[in-house]
Amino acid sequence: MKIAADRLLGFALIGLAAFAAIHAWQLQIPFSYEPVGPKAFPIVLSIILAALSLVLIFRPGENGHWPNKALLAKLLQVLGTLVVYAILFTKLGFIITTFFAALVLARLFGATWRRALIASFLMVLVSYFLFTQGLGISLPDGYWLSDYV
Amino acid sequence: MFDFLIHGFGVALTPLNLGLAFLGALLGTLFGALPGIGPINGIAILMPLAYTLGLPAESALILLASVYTGSEYGGRMSSILLNVPGDAGAVMTTLDGHPLAKKGLAGPALGLSAVSSFVGATIAIIGLTLFAPLLAQVAIMFGPAEFFALMVFAFSSMAVMMGKDPIKTAIGAVLGVMVAMVGVDSGTGVLRYTFGMAELYDGIDFVVMIIGLFAISEILLMLEHANRQDVDDEMPPLGRVMISLKELAYCKWTMLRCGVIGFIVGVLPGTGASIGGAVSYTTEKRISDKDGSFGTGNMRGLAAPEAANNASAAGSFVPMLTLGIPGSGTTAVLLGALMLYNITPGPMLFSERPEVAGGLIASLYIGNIMLLALNLPLAGLFARVLTIPRWVLVPSIAILAFVGIFQLHSDLTAIYLMLIIGIFGYLLRKLGFSLAPIILGYVLGGLMENNLRRALAISGGDLGILWQSGISLGLWIAAAALLVLPWLLPKLWQARTSKA
Repeated sequence: MKIAADRLLGFALIGLAAFAAIHAWQLQIPFSYEPVGPKAFPIVLSIILAALSLVLIFRPGENGHWPNKALLAKLLQVLGTLVVYAILFTKLGFIITTFFAALVLARLFGATWRRALIASFLMVLVSYFLFTQGLGISLPDGYWLSDYV
Repeated sequence: MFDFLIHGFGVALTPLNLGLAFLGALLGTLFGALPGIGPINGIAILMPLAYTLGLPAESALILLASVYTGSEYGGRMSSILLNVPGDAGAVMTTLDGHPLAKKGLAGPALGLSAVSSFVGATIAIIGLTLFAPLLAQVAIMFGPAEFFALMVFAFSSMAVMMGKDPIKTAIGAVLGVMVAMVGVDSGTGVLRYTFGMAELYDGIDFVVMIIGLFAISEILLMLEHANRQDVDDEMPPLGRVMISLKELAYCKWTMLRCGVIGFIVGVLPGTGASIGGAVSYTTEKRISDKDGSFGTGNMRGLAAPEAANNASAAGSFVPMLTLGIPGSGTTAVLLGALMLYNITPGPMLFSERPEVAGGLIASLYIGNIMLLALNLPLAGLFARVLTIPRWVLVPSIAILAFVGIFQLHSDLTAIYLMLIIGIFGYLLRKLGFSLAPIILGYVLGGLMENNLRRALAISGGDLGILWQSGISLGLWIAAAALLVLPWLLPKLWQARTSKA
């Protein structure tokens, strides 16, 4: 299982190298004053990467422990939270999105509801005033809400 | 010859820069103490803020550099008290630091590590002051071919020294260089790897790359640690945070030796504090471990890596300031921060921007004294930072990352890109890659290609120019030697001992 991960990575990297080389090969260069141009360096890199990946396939190294199902589910939840935070960041504004993102993250990292609520409330409050008053940064107000406020 | 330093003290002693050095030292110690937030994460999170505040280049660099040196102090906290290294540089500190704490000597251990850190850093800063201008004078003679050879040398020294798996280190560096290829090619205006996305024309932004790769992947990694129970969470009592003169005298040669070793390792391009700590610990063990007490709570075993990791942190500024080649992952990030200000460090930095080079070096002296003054009496306070739960830490990192990126780009694409890079960073770390080579490759990649192309433009395409001069030939030989010797030396050694 451990070995398979490195082999898989090796094949994926060879694929990446091939893709990068083909992309560089197909670049259309209008004119160039220099002998090398933009193609050569990426192509040489791709060759080096492919060669190193071959070594990896034949002599796979050690990997860490892979997450089990429960941890994987949590990982996806954390990622999902961050993505939703990003999507809504400008739409609902800093205060609302940050409060809920901090709340969910705190819960996912093992806080009780009570602690998570208090912590996220305080974090929003402190960070909002630190950024706007202390550092003079303008934070998104949320254009979905601006019609109602 | 020391004009730059006098000028530098003038810069570093202004109230703003003094305040920033203090703030950086304080925040750095905190960042270093918090498990998971090492110097790079601390700098990555603060960098967009420093940029937004409109700080001048030298002030921003002073702030970020003192975060770096501060976190080398802070890294010892969790190493000694909890047996969890706060950052890569503090791994060796756990070996004797934690046993000392278990014996009830946590306070003296913290005190000793603060003093060793101070001694190590002082040696290295003096070394930096003496050697950096000399090296800069040599480096003025470097042309594109020499710089290209130097970068090849940096990469091979990194592949050999950094990480457990040289192949993965090399792959990481190549991947980093490839990321640097994204965007408009400066020579011809051709778009490379942009896939028609206008956001990628300028390349993958440095801050987005750093915060994604380090901060976001760290959040994902922390989730794992949050559910693991193999860590010694019980904090031993601190006791007195002072060390006696007897203990100091016992360790004085260790500190001096390891400070010098750490400095030399730090100067080598591509090798940072973690290697400095490891090399000095093994050397010191060979020299002074008579009764086999290293690893069971020997004071010297603690002083050695602590002096060395601070010394290599300061030493890694030498190649960064004089050659523009970072000596460690963290200085690679600092180099990128300077590039945000359109300053490319290199041999001309000392003559053209003495306020940056001199101001930084002067502030390292000042910051180092501040750090000692902060760390001896306030160790107990910093130790309490360790009890900050992850459910406070993680949302805080997320908020700082989001606001930092949004502030720089006012654009959600940058935040999505940060998250995507974070996922890749997490996967690579799980696959046994360390992130420092990727960052070094990413920072050096563009420079490497430009120097190669400039050299070949001068020679009209003749590859011979790459090893024509004595300097570049020497660097190629040194690079080849570094790659071959680790395989060759043990064999030669074996052949000799079997004959005897």
